Amino acid sequence: MLEVEGLEASYGPFLVLSGVTLTVRQGEIVALLGPNGSGKTTLIRCIAGLLRPRAGAIRWEGRALGDAPAHTVVERGVAVVPEGRRLFGSMSVEENLALGAFAPRARPGETARLERTYAIFPVLRERRRQLVRALSGGQQQMVAIGRALMADPRLLILDEPSLGLAPRVVESIFGVLGTINRAGVSILLVEQNVHAALGLAHRGYILESGRVATEGEGSALLRDPHVRRAYLGPLAR
Amino acid sequence: MTRAAWLALGGVVVAALALVPRLARSDSLVNFVFLILLAVTLAQSWNIVAGYAGQVNLGHAAFFGLGALTTRTLWIAGTPVLLAMAAGALVATAFALLIGAVAFRLRGAYFAIGTLALGEILRITVGNVLSEISTLPAATIAGYRLADRYYLALALAVVTMGVVALLAHSRAGLGMQAIREDEEAAEASGASALRLKLLAFSLSTALAGLAGGLFAYYHISYYPSHPFGPHWTFDALLMTFIGGVGTLHGPVLGAVFYVFLKEYLAIRWVDFHLLIFGALFIAIVLLLPGGLVEAAARLRALVRRATGSA
Amino acid sequence: MTSLLQQLVLGLLIGGLYGLAAAGLALVFGVLKVLNVAHGQLIMLGGYGAFWLFALAGLDPFASLALVIPGALLLGVLLYLGLFGWVVRAHEETRVKNSLLIGFGLALALDALAVRLWTADERSITTRYAGSVIDLWGISVPLVRLASLVLAVALIGAVHLFLVRTRWGRAIRATAEDWEAALLTGIDVRRAYLLAFAIGTALAGAAGTLVSVGYSVSPSIGLEWTLKALVVVVLAGLGSMPGTFVGGLVLGLAEALAATIFGGPYREMVGLVLFFVVLVARPQGLFTR
Repeated sequence: MLEVEGLEASYGPFLVLSGVTLTVRQGEIVALLGPNGSGKTTLIRCIAGLLRPRAGAIRWEGRALGDAPAHTVVERGVAVVPEGRRLFGSMSVEENLALGAFAPRARPGETARLERTYAIFPVLRERRRQLVRALSGGQQQMVAIGRALMADPRLLILDEPSLGLAPRVVESIFGVLGTINRAGVSILLVEQNVHAALGLAHRGYILESGRVATEGEGSALLRDPHVRRAYLGPLAR
Repeated sequence: MTRAAWLALGGVVVAALALVPRLARSDSLVNFVFLILLAVTLAQSWNIVAGYAGQVNLGHAAFFGLGALTTRTLWIAGTPVLLAMAAGALVATAFALLIGAVAFRLRGAYFAIGTLALGEILRITVGNVLSEISTLPAATIAGYRLADRYYLALALAVVTMGVVALLAHSRAGLGMQAIREDEEAAEASGASALRLKLLAFSLSTALAGLAGGLFAYYHISYYPSHPFGPHWTFDALLMTFIGGVGTLHGPVLGAVFYVFLKEYLAIRWVDFHLLIFGALFIAIVLLLPGGLVEAAARLRALVRRATGSA
Repeated sequence: MTSLLQQLVLGLLIGGLYGLAAAGLALVFGVLKVLNVAHGQLIMLGGYGAFWLFALAGLDPFASLALVIPGALLLGVLLYLGLFGWVVRAHEETRVKNSLLIGFGLALALDALAVRLWTADERSITTRYAGSVIDLWGISVPLVRLASLVLAVALIGAVHLFLVRTRWGRAIRATAEDWEAALLTGIDVRRAYLLAFAIGTALAGAAGTLVSVGYSVSPSIGLEWTLKALVVVVLAGLGSMPGTFVGGLVLGLAEALAATIFGGPYREMVGLVLFFVVLVARPQGLFTR
């Protein structure tokens, strides 16, 4: 389980996170929401080891995370699907997926896992040799998720997976996330699409100006009037 | 130290240097100091673009060479040497402005290798077109006075130092330093980056051209392509960086240090100084980017702390 | 009176070495974003390595590749750990600038060292078969240079296969494209850097060996070959090993053409002029895809 305690982080002179505390329990889907610039991606970067926090602690399965080099995070069982997907565009679908299994923990059973990934995303099997940059946004998102799954993670972190995707694609991807979760993978989901995220998540946190403003059960947050006004727009029922 | 104190010190140094040809027993000391003065000019002129405008110009020798070529040609043909040198500086600057607008579209390392290529193009061209050694006519050799060259070198070094000192504190100079720190931010704040870079480039190349003219005036015979050789650039780069790029005194320190070491070590092992300087250079880039100037400052601070807390 | 075709063939033969030289530089620049301007000096060292193995141990230069390549790999590892590994800690724009300066210092030091150790004399390896020439439809093709071309192709091919078919090769390509994403995928980017730098140095060493047997080596070839490699990299881009190699061939041919049309001394200019023109025509940087 993931524990973040009092995390503070800055980009240069700007303090982006001013004391964030959250947890992701085993088997949960936790949504992390909030406006642009509230620090969601910064938090993910700290967890992923790409940014050293100024203060606070990050613990994964009881042991500290975030001090070791970034590439060892995957080895600990945490895989990140970054914002904007960050795929290797000049390489094929299969190569991108194969790279997901680069870490030693992911090597045994790599072939079987690849088959399972294609089973989850059949369209990728058809396009396995295509260069990733030739794929549509939704397909690229699938590759990104698939690449993370190839690392056999216990915690999957996604940063804005719905960005730039059509609603139907978002629906199908979120459906997949549900399936993955039911198979035992905990999920931390950073999202702008509050409705879809809270529909999927067990719990949620709302980050504003670098700290947690609200937290609660997914359904409770959906009904919260402040949340509805701020994030679900005038058409929210 | 106050500005006045520095000026006074500078005055004393210049006066002392002016006495060297009078008091020196042999020509070798005069030659030695001449080389230092030439090195100071070369390094300081390179420093203008590197230290103040933040671009590494690896084609500096091209302007040195153009100055030398123009001066030599005009002077041998009968033009008074000062006029010939001025023409040399003009040619160098003209060429700089010609390629500057184009070259400055390149950022960072690309500007460096681009100017290197340009320098080499000029060297090869001159080497092919003027492949024969250039020697002064006998009459000129007979009337050769080392002291003339020396005083010219001294004057040029003083002028160069003056230009850089004025530039550092001028509005243009501060604008340039802003560019050096962060090009995008500087551009946004209104300092027309390209114009300032071209200004720096013009000053730098004009001074390099004058130095080239001095070279042409000093040497009795040399191959016309020699002043275009990249080692002139590399020498300037080494001296400036080791002394402290972007400072006023850095290139002077570096030049003195460099020429000393070069001449001293040349007896035993001709290029040994390059091995030392190469290694020193790496150390400075990695560990002490401010060069000797920074080292001196840190040392002073250390001493102050040690004696202060005593 | 040598025919144009003869010149072109000779140009092609040296072009293969240009390509090999450039491939190493391109690999390092593409992956580490580090411009090692001492690359030519690494080529020089490879050349001297082969020369001394020949002069002192009588080892055939083509055979000595078996020693030079591992030696160069090791040298690459040492240079990375001792020098360039520190440069990569900075972000990209500083990296390129610092690597340029550091490479410069390294180049100077290595040049001076070479002069001290081996004098400024030109050295060339003359084996028993050195003068052999194959006659292909009226064109004389020096056997040694042809063999070098074949070897260069083989080496490029080997590296290409490594990059495309193996796990670490893929990891290196991924690192070149997006090192942060590579980290997120679990790739030890520092190790990828080390590997790429070592391979780049090995390619340089191999190129040097081939240069010493087909042409000559001296302490001054460093800058010359760095410039050649830079020209090819600028012209051909960093896309692929084979692409860079072909760029080398093109440069060789262009030089031969220029020498035939404008005369020998202008051979060197073609590359440099093209270089400057291409650099300026793409001011956004060399290799933004």
